[in-house]
Amino acid sequence: MAKMNLTEGAIAKITSGGAKAAELKPTLQVTELKQVHTKQPQQSDRFRLVLSDGSHLQQAMLGTQINHLVKDGNLRPCSVVQLIQYTCTTVQGRMIIIILELIVIVEECALIGHLVSAQKSLGPPQSFTNQPVNNSSNPQSFGSCSLSGGAVENPNLTVASLPNPRMNQLHSSSHSSNNDSVRHGATNVPPSHLKAEYGAGLPGAAPMNGSYSDQCAIFRNHRPEISQAPGTYFYSSRSVYQQPSPMYPNTGQVAKNDAPPKLMPISALNPYQGRWTIKARVTAKGELRHYNNPRGDGKVFSFDLLDSDGGEIKVTCFNAVADQFYHQIEGGKVYLISRGNLKPAQKNFNHLRNDLEVFLESTSIVQPCFEDDNVIPRQQFNFRSISEVEGMDNNNVVDIIGMVSSITPAASIMRKNGTETQKRILQLKDMSGRSVEFALWGSFCNAEGQRLQNMCDSGGFPFLAVKSGRVSDFNGKAVGTISTSQLFIDPDFPEARRLKEWFEKEGRNVPSLSISREMSSVGRADVPKTISQIKDERLGTSEKPDWVTVNATVIFIKADNFCYTACPLMSGDRPCNKKVTNNGDGKWSCEKCDQSMDECDYRYILQFQIQDHTSITWVTAFQESGEEIMGISAKDLNSLKYEKQDNESFSKIVRQVLFSKFVFKLKVKEETFSDEQRVKSTVVRAGKVNYSSQSKFLLDMMEKFKSGNSAPVASNTESTYPNSGANSIGIESSGRPCGPLGSNQVGNNGYIARKFGSLPSEVGQHGNQYSTKFPTSSLSLTAVVLLAIPQQIALVS
Amino acid sequence: MDTSKPAIFVNGGLLPMHVQKRVRIVIQVLGSDRGAVIGKSTDDHQLTVKGTPPSVPLTNFVEVIGIADSEKSIQAEIWTNFGDTFDTYSYNQLCQLANGEYQLLFL
Repeated sequence: MAKMNLTEGAIAKITSGGAKAAELKPTLQVTELKQVHTKQPQQSDRFRLVLSDGSHLQQAMLGTQINHLVKDGNLRPCSVVQLIQYTCTTVQGRMIIIILELIVIVEECALIGHLVSAQKSLGPPQSFTNQPVNNSSNPQSFGSCSLSGGAVENPNLTVASLPNPRMNQLHSSSHSSNNDSVRHGATNVPPSHLKAEYGAGLPGAAPMNGSYSDQCAIFRNHRPEISQAPGTYFYSSRSVYQQPSPMYPNTGQVAKNDAPPKLMPISALNPYQGRWTIKARVTAKGELRHYNNPRGDGKVFSFDLLDSDGGEIKVTCFNAVADQFYHQIEGGKVYLISRGNLKPAQKNFNHLRNDLEVFLESTSIVQPCFEDDNVIPRQQFNFRSISEVEGMDNNNVVDIIGMVSSITPAASIMRKNGTETQKRILQLKDMSGRSVEFALWGSFCNAEGQRLQNMCDSGGFPFLAVKSGRVSDFNGKAVGTISTSQLFIDPDFPEARRLKEWFEKEGRNVPSLSISREMSSVGRADVPKTISQIKDERLGTSEKPDWVTVNATVIFIKADNFCYTACPLMSGDRPCNKKVTNNGDGKWSCEKCDQSMDECDYRYILQFQIQDHTSITWVTAFQESGEEIMGISAKDLNSLKYEKQDNESFSKIVRQVLFSKFVFKLKVKEETFSDEQRVKSTVVRAGKVNYSSQSKFLLDMMEKFKSGNSAPVASNTESTYPNSGANSIGIESSGRPCGPLGSNQVGNNGYIARKFGSLPSEVGQHGNQYSTKFPTSSLSLTAVVLLAIPQQIALVS
Repeated sequence: MDTSKPAIFVNGGLLPMHVQKRVRIVIQVLGSDRGAVIGKSTDDHQLTVKGTPPSVPLTNFVEVIGIADSEKSIQAEIWTNFGDTFDTYSYNQLCQLANGEYQLLFL
C-alpha cells in the first residue's frame, strides 16, 4: 500500500497547545485502540486510543458520537486517520485528546515511524505499545470522588504487569495536579502512580491511569502516608489507595488552580474532562423535593441549563448541597458553573438531550453572571409535529405546539394512590393536519387551564407551546403534562408565528384527524354524543368500555322477556341476582348460591330501541334503569302480564313509555357472541330531559356553529372528514319521520342538502360539547329545539 | 297533525311583521280585561289576546294560536296552558330563528 505520510510533529503541536482543531487537522496513525468498560450499562462504550504522528505517541479518547466507526470496523489499530474535530485537555496531569470527528484514511497500515511516547522518551516505547492491557475490575473507590468522570472503570488496570521503567517517567514529572506538563501515561495501576507522583524513590511504580483527577486529590491528602519502603510499594499502595476514597472529602484543600475558568460548550462536556466551566441559563428550576427511599431520606433539587450553543444539561444536587444552591439559582438567569460531577443521565428523570448530567457538590462553584448578553436563549424547544407524536413510543417526552381547539372544564380524578387531582383535556391542532388530546394535570388545570378556557369561551383560538409533555397511549396517542412540563400560551416563537399564519390561511377550515380517541373517559364524565357517533367513532371497540350520554326517544320496547327471575340471596353486600331456575315444585334454585327458595326476585332486562335525530340503536336496561323508564317495578309488571293476564294494562303502560324522551347514560362496549363482534349499549341511567337546559345547549351550539361560518364555504364536501357519515345522515334524517315536523322537512330536502355542503369543514374546528365531530346541521338543531317546546304541550294537555 | 294552517312563531317584536297572518305566541298572563286577556310576550311586549279562553283556568304561561289582527293583538282560536314556568329565553331565541335564517324550516 502507498506510504502514508503522517503529519510530523503534530502530536507535539497539539499537546503543547500550539495548534487547535480549527487550524490543524493532522493525519495520524492509531497505534492502539481499546474499549473502555464502563460500570453502568447505560453509558455508551468508550474507546481509548493512542495516536502517532510518526515520532510521538499520544493518548486519546474517542467521542461517543463516532463510536460507530470502531463498531463498524472502519477504525482499527493501525488505521491512519485525519482528525477533524478534537479538543485537548489535561486530565490528571496528562494530556488527552478527545476526538469528536475524524476521517479514516486507511483502515490498515503498517506502523509508521519510530515511535516514542510523547511526553518523556523514557523507557522502551515499543513495549509500551505492546503492553498487555486488561480491563480488570476497578476498585470501587474510583468512582467516588467528585471530579471523577462518571463510572468509567479504570481501563487497563493491570496489577501484574508493571514494567519498571515506566516509573521513571513519572518520577521526573512534576507534582502538582492538573497543570502538569504534558505527560504520557500508559494506563496502569494508579496506586503506583501515586507513589511516583510524590517522588519518593519508587521502584515498581507504574504510570498512572490518567483518567481520574481525583487521583491527585487522593495523593494530596495522603502524602504523608506514601512514604514507604520501595519494595513494598506496589502492594501496599493498593491498600492505601483503597482507603482514601471514603475519606476523600469534597473539600479538597489543595493547591487550587485559580486560573480563569475556561468556558466550554455543554455539548463538549465529557467525563474525562478535568476542570470545566459552563456558562448557561437556567431554563427550568425544579422544586426542593423531599424523598424517602429504602436508603433513607433526602432532599433533591435539580435545574436545567441551556447554553449559547444550544446544548442542554440537567444539574442535580442532593441534601446539603441542595439547600446550598436552591436559593442561589433563579430561573431564567445565567450562571457560571464549574467543579461539578459528570455522570450518565438517568433517562427516567432527565428528558434533555444529553447523555450526561451534572451533580453538584459543596465544592462546586455557581457564579451568577451579571452581563446577561442574551446570547443564551431563554428556552429551547424541539418541537415535533403532532403526526410525529403518533409514531412515538409511550412515555416519550416531547415538545409540541398547536392551536387549542377545545378544552374541557376541570374534573376531579382519583389517582392510583387515592389522592384526588384535577384534569382538563384539550385538543391541540397543528399543521400536520392532526390533532391530539392534551391533558393538563394538577396545578396546570387551574392556572393555564383556566386561562385557556377563558380564551376559548370568548371565541378565541389560543396557541399553546408545551415543553416536556409525556406521550401516553391512552385512547390512541395522547400527551399529558408532567411535573417538569412548561406551558406557554400564545408564545412569540417563530414556530408559533408560523402556526398562526397557517391557521389563518387554511387551518381554520381543515378538519384534523385526531390521533387520540375522542372518547375521553375522564372519570366516567358524561360526554354528550349522538347515536350515530357511537357507530361512527367506533365507541366501545377499545379495551375499555366507553361511557356516553345521549338524548333520545324510546321507539320500540321488546315486550317479551322484559325481566328474569333472580336470586334474592345476599352474596357479600350485594344480592346475588343470578338467574334462578324453576324447580318445578314451586321453588327456585340458584346455581351460584346453591340454594333453593320459595320466592324469587324479578329484575328487568329490558331491550328497547332508542332514536335521536341522527340514528337508532338497541339498548338494554337492567333493574334500576328499567324501573326509571317503565315507571313500574319489574315484579308488578310481571304479575300484571303473566299472573293477572292483564294485557290491556300492560299495553297501556308500554304505550306510555313509547316515544318518551330520556337522557340516557350508556355504557358502550364491544362484545363477542359466537365469533361475532357486536357493540352493545347498556343503559346505566335514564333521566328526564331538562328541556330548558337542553334548549340552551342547542342554542349555544348553533351560535358557535354560526360564528364559524365566517370563513368561506369550503367546497370540499367529500373532505376526509372523519364523520363523513354526517352527510348521509343529515339528509337521511330529513326523510325520516321525525316527530311532528316530518312533513315540513320533507319538503325542504333541497335546502338541507345545499346547506349541508358547508358543514364538514366548519364543524371540524369547533370544540363544542359534542366533541369536534358532531355531525349535525343547524337545521336539525332547530328541529330539535322545536321538538323540545311542543313536548311541553304534549305533556301538559 | 293538521298542517294546513301553519302558524308562525312570534314574540312581541315580531308580531307586527305578520299582521293578518296566523301566528302562535306564548305569553305570560298578566290579567284579563273585558273579554280579552292581557299578556306579556317573551320579549316584554304587552299584548292583547281576544277571543274566548277555554273553560279551564289559565296558567301563568299560555300559548295562543290565532290571527294577528293588529300589531299588538291577536284573535285567538286555540289556547293551550303551558304551566307556571317557562323558559322565555329559549322561546325568544326560537322566534328569532324561526323568522330569520331558518324561516323555510317552519313554513
